[in-house]
Amino acid sequence: MVQSDLDRQIEQLRRCEIITESEVKELCNKAREIFIEESNVQRVDAPVTICGDIHGQFYDLQELFTVGGECPDTNYLFMGDFVDRGFYSVETFLLLLALKVRYPDRISLLRGNHESRQITQVYGFYDQFMPKYGSANVWRNCCEVFDYMSLVAIIDDKILCVHGGLSPVINTVDQIRTIDRKQEVPHEGAMCDLLWSDPEDISGWGLSPRGAGYLFGGDVVRSFLHTNNLDLIARAPQLVMEGFKHMFDKTCVTVWSAPNYCYRCGNVAAILEFDENLASNFKIFEAAPQEARGTPAKKPAPDYFL
Amino acid sequence: MSESIRPGLGSFTAPQRKILEPTDMAKWQQSAAFLEIASFIEQLSKSVEGMVISDVGNVSPSVQRICGLLDEAASWVAAFPPQESEATRFGNKSFRRWAAELERRAPRLIRDVLGDKWDSAEIELEPYLIAAFGNATRIDYGSGHELTFVMWLLCLCKLGILEPADSQAIVLVVFARYLELCQQLQRTYRLEPAGSHGVWGLDDYQFLPFYFGSAQFIGTQTTPAASLDSRLIAEQGDNYLYLRGIRFIMAMKRGPFFEHSRQLYDISGVPRWEKVNQGLGKMYKAEVLGRFPVVQHLVFGSLLSIAQVK
Repeated sequence: MVQSDLDRQIEQLRRCEIITESEVKELCNKAREIFIEESNVQRVDAPVTICGDIHGQFYDLQELFTVGGECPDTNYLFMGDFVDRGFYSVETFLLLLALKVRYPDRISLLRGNHESRQITQVYGFYDQFMPKYGSANVWRNCCEVFDYMSLVAIIDDKILCVHGGLSPVINTVDQIRTIDRKQEVPHEGAMCDLLWSDPEDISGWGLSPRGAGYLFGGDVVRSFLHTNNLDLIARAPQLVMEGFKHMFDKTCVTVWSAPNYCYRCGNVAAILEFDENLASNFKIFEAAPQEARGTPAKKPAPDYFL
Repeated sequence: MSESIRPGLGSFTAPQRKILEPTDMAKWQQSAAFLEIASFIEQLSKSVEGMVISDVGNVSPSVQRICGLLDEAASWVAAFPPQESEATRFGNKSFRRWAAELERRAPRLIRDVLGDKWDSAEIELEPYLIAAFGNATRIDYGSGHELTFVMWLLCLCKLGILEPADSQAIVLVVFARYLELCQQLQRTYRLEPAGSHGVWGLDDYQFLPFYFGSAQFIGTQTTPAASLDSRLIAEQGDNYLYLRGIRFIMAMKRGPFFEHSRQLYDISGVPRWEKVNQGLGKMYKAEVLGRFPVVQHLVFGSLLSIAQVK
């Protein structure tokens, strides 16, 4: 892929305009080549800014970049859930993917529980392809990329970043390295738990109301951090009205980056910056204002109504 | 467990899940229950064409009793206010207390509706009512729960508790009251939209208010384009289920309507309500009745049977 083409595609995607099917195919191939080289546990150096769920909220992602700095001026680590629920899942995912291909050392993308064939067919990402591309081919290309994304990142050997949380069958980071991740997210087991689990004020492990993954308590976090000589677990997938939430004496933090989630929650969003000494700073932002959100297209009657 | 024999229909049983794998979908779509549900919903829609809610006069004692049940369920919300300071997850855990109350009181509430004659049918009706307002574990609500309420109503019809003459009241009184309660629960406990297709679904929670509501507009001067007009909604919102649905979205959501409710936005461009109504009917069969993730939770017994139509 010629770099000027890629730069043009990034510019186009930044304007929230999609790129062609063949361009997507090429971008996905390129991204896969990069992801395949990354281990399950990706090493990331500070300074870096970590981000939680985006869920297709394209214009709010632009707010995020305004607040946190553009890529590649700022290094980013996104902890998954780029797609589903929001209106611009395709544009959001393709923009982040194009940035990854263009600046592979400046941006890391971890897999979230929504980066899955099954889940995207239920929560909206899949539905966006018919009106945009007239077929599900591009969706298939994107799902193949999902299978190659890293599961976990560790910043400066101290901060473990993962979409969901811990797993009862994982005690050491080395065990995460042995997972064969190149597959659809399974319904159970270590890989599933990393993407689905949530921290909770309990001791030990509990059943998750999500029906996948587990609930884990502060004692589980302390023991995992101790065993692996880590300081903190950062994770994403729970709505927090204030954008972030510390738990268990600041050994676990939830970072939520989708403001006014689902257009109804009225929450603010946060990103978490670590400087080169791992000093942390939250930046809070709100949903992009109405006037920054584009204009309504025509009203094509959906197929059922023709 | 008490069972009774009804002429021609067999004995009442506690309904069970029968759609366990995607491969069970064919069995479901050829079942007696599927055909009966699809035709029930279509008949209900037909019965309210051109009618507004304020047109409904006196209603039958059964309809009154069902509304009483819904009123009582609504009254518990005040007893279980949402927990403050709860930061994570979509839904508020106090919903579980409301749902536990429903489960505790359901047998008595259902017997009040059934009367002495069909007392023994309670075991068969209970699972439908309990599942009609959302899932307590996941603290969510979606079109599958709405469908379960319709199945409960269909059971009451099959027992003769509700009659064909009640059709209009079933939609414009009972279902309207049900929708009010659901919206109250969704708002109070911030229920998570269950399996909604995000902005690509018709609505985060409901489907049928839009289907039944589109029938209400058939033969009127109002166009589908006017359904998003805030003046019409302010003036006529109480009278049309469709507008009640839109009004709730507008009250609950922030951001451009075309972005957060794309399907309804596009539907407002369809020229005639007949087309909207037909389209929503087709869409319901495909997107609700035809979707494994939605219907896998349904249960079947003697009244609504998974057995193939003979």
